[in-house]
Amino acid sequence: MKTEHILHLYNRIGFGITPKELKKLTSRTRNEIISSLFFQSKDYTPLHIDTSFLSNLSKAQLKNKKKRKELIKLSRKKVKDLNNIWLNRIFNPNELLREKMTLFWANHFVCKDNNILHLLQYNNTLRKHALGSFSDFTKTISKEASMLKYLNNKQNKKNSPNENFARELMELFTLGQGNYTEKDIQESAKAFTGYNHDFKGDFKLREKHHDASEKSFLNKQGNFNGDDIIDIILSQKQCAKFISEKVYKYFVNDVVNEQHLNEMTTIFYPNYNIEKLLKHVFLSDWFYDENNIGNKIKSPIELLAGIHKTVPFSFNKKKQGILIQKLLGQILLSPPNVAGWKQGKGWIDSNTIVTRLRLPSVLLNNAEINYSEKGDFKDEIKNFNQKKLRKKAFIKTSTQWTVFERNYNLLKNEELVTHIITSPLSKNAENILKTYSTSSKKDYCIQILSLPEYQLC
Amino acid sequence: MKRRNFIKRTSLATGGLFLAPQFLKAFESNNPSVFNEKKVVIIQLKGGNDGLNTVVPFRNDLYYQNREQIAITKNSLLSLNDEVGFHPSLKPLKKLYDKGHVSIINNVGYPNPNRSHFRSTDIWQTASNSNEFLQTGWIGRYLDITKAKPYKAIEVDENLSLMLKGDLQNGLAITNPKLFYKLLKQPFFNGLLDNYSSDAHLNEHNLGYLYNTMIDAKSSAEYIYEKSKTKASTIDYPKNIFGKQLKTISEFITSGLETQVYYAALSGFDTHANQKNRQAKLLELYAESMEVFVNDLQKNNAFEDTLILTFSEFGRRVKQNGSNGTDHGTANNVFVIGKDLKKAGLYNSLPNLQNLDTNGDLKFSIDFREVYATILDKWLHIENSKVLNNKFSTLGFI
Repeated sequence: MKTEHILHLYNRIGFGITPKELKKLTSRTRNEIISSLFFQSKDYTPLHIDTSFLSNLSKAQLKNKKKRKELIKLSRKKVKDLNNIWLNRIFNPNELLREKMTLFWANHFVCKDNNILHLLQYNNTLRKHALGSFSDFTKTISKEASMLKYLNNKQNKKNSPNENFARELMELFTLGQGNYTEKDIQESAKAFTGYNHDFKGDFKLREKHHDASEKSFLNKQGNFNGDDIIDIILSQKQCAKFISEKVYKYFVNDVVNEQHLNEMTTIFYPNYNIEKLLKHVFLSDWFYDENNIGNKIKSPIELLAGIHKTVPFSFNKKKQGILIQKLLGQILLSPPNVAGWKQGKGWIDSNTIVTRLRLPSVLLNNAEINYSEKGDFKDEIKNFNQKKLRKKAFIKTSTQWTVFERNYNLLKNEELVTHIITSPLSKNAENILKTYSTSSKKDYCIQILSLPEYQLC
Repeated sequence: MKRRNFIKRTSLATGGLFLAPQFLKAFESNNPSVFNEKKVVIIQLKGGNDGLNTVVPFRNDLYYQNREQIAITKNSLLSLNDEVGFHPSLKPLKKLYDKGHVSIINNVGYPNPNRSHFRSTDIWQTASNSNEFLQTGWIGRYLDITKAKPYKAIEVDENLSLMLKGDLQNGLAITNPKLFYKLLKQPFFNGLLDNYSSDAHLNEHNLGYLYNTMIDAKSSAEYIYEKSKTKASTIDYPKNIFGKQLKTISEFITSGLETQVYYAALSGFDTHANQKNRQAKLLELYAESMEVFVNDLQKNNAFEDTLILTFSEFGRRVKQNGSNGTDHGTANNVFVIGKDLKKAGLYNSLPNLQNLDTNGDLKFSIDFREVYATILDKWLHIENSKVLNNKFSTLGFI
């Protein structure tokens, strides 16, 4: 497989590739590389976090207001820890493609929770089903404790239906706007009544709140339950198209090619095998078309992971890892709303672009970064007078330049550019690099990572 | 290699012919929107301010029955008429009120209210229905429609809220124009952007978008800095984080920036426990800063062109909770401050404390998007349906 195609593939299915890894692949065919890619993601390694503070609690403890408050506080803290644990997983994945897809699904089945037990389970569900059957996946998601809370399906009862989940299931998760009626929402909401969960987060159907009456949904009649509804939705080809389009925009190009999309839809329908769909994309010639290379704007997490791939680093303070995510506009586990983050150009504004270009200096070269202490909803009042609108910080990281040097030692400075950047270079960017051509490889690398061209992959 | 061809093509095509003009000239000449000197300053009281303890119905027994520990006694209130009084901390605001500069719109909300801070803020910022999820803010869409430059809407912060993000255009988050300007003046940015050739091929490529965004950022920073550098407010603002934001906004406005929308926030209103002291302190901070801000604008003849809107993502429950605080509620009052209000004082009647929803929360009577619609139609002179996606009726406060 051609070097530039391997670089492209690994930019999209992962977060880049080191020259050392690349060297092992150049003699192999596209088929071989892609087969082993899926093989490496066959296993599923869940994230772990200690949640023992939530086990073996007595009823009395749970009823105690003070104790509850304490547990909630601890749980929120653990959610922040999970952010860090997940980020580290993205930085050091075992199952590369699976982790990349987990990130994709986290912006599809968008959810947020302060309960660490439920959120951890939710996040691992995304990981577990990332390459499996979209049908099983959707059914599992509909029964996840975090989702039951996030879209109020827990409050969806026979006598007081709540349509929030039913609506978003169709609008955002499966069909897209305009492919169902308000009546379909009302009817399908009935099928999801009585859905609930226990303390641990296991699904419980509360029979007495479940509406077992006949429903009329997408031109079908029956005593449908939630799983039946999902089956009926998936029997619409539109669902396969909707998901394929999202996958196309994530892996291939912001601008959809109808012919390629049709191909994908045909592959995906009616079995909804995610692995098969992806394999088709990565094996097709059009995936390697010049127009599809180096033209995708990296998400903040992709940007961070890409820098990490070249120069491994870690945040010394978890809090600062979250601050950086905030300034870049994507905090893991904290999406803006159920529609998720607006991708592509949506990542870029006057502020984030400047932060992005300064990021390598901030992370690898101890440059300062600014943030505001304006605060959020839960802020304490006491120190309003000390708070600053604009505060400087130095992000403390541990960087492993020795790893960089080991991985990149065979490349000359100019070769470093074509390895790290797949977008065309502007004239100005070329000139900047020229002025640095005799610098150390380390300085030269920081310059490359700071270019607008590096924002693309 | 194709890449090499591309680069060659680019450098040939540009050959000095398309040298970019100076940034400032570039966007002054192709700015299609008509200059409109009206300004809107939007302020969010983050956390959900307790509106019932802010504008207090002191003749209503239900108010005192529901709030045994936290109700505000009649004689400490600053009465607005024989039924309604301001929280005692709002003395500075009362002065503005007495001059006819404040309109209080009561009971503002939306159907099927959401009681999550995040979600409800989202709804207010995007002007969506509660079951609708938009990825652009209402000010962002205003920027889209007017094809505005980033500095047309400024948030005094280091990162940008959804409210100021559009599909094609975004506002700008800035706290210190000098530092932002200096940052973009660094050799690295100059090297990237000076004489950047706007090659047609690159413009369709996402890379062109990145460069153009940077050029916009740089020219905005330059514009704001050059215009505002000589202007330092001579009035003393309260030395807290909210005062600092308002001072920055005042300096921007009085230096003649073409910015039309400013956004600032004061946080800490989530008073679930021991509300009394906490809210008193916060309202004092708000009112003091606001009075100074208005005086400053007046001194600079800028008040008549400025409208100040204060909202909170929701109000709080009518009945207090067991910790001498209040829980998340629904409808709330909104303050509009301006010089020539058509209807100053209490715009409409206070909420009905008897007819509550199943949670014991207020039922709204004015949709918040009617407030936005009024500002869009009558102040910014743009058809509200273009920004709000649906046409909303307007109110009579301006």
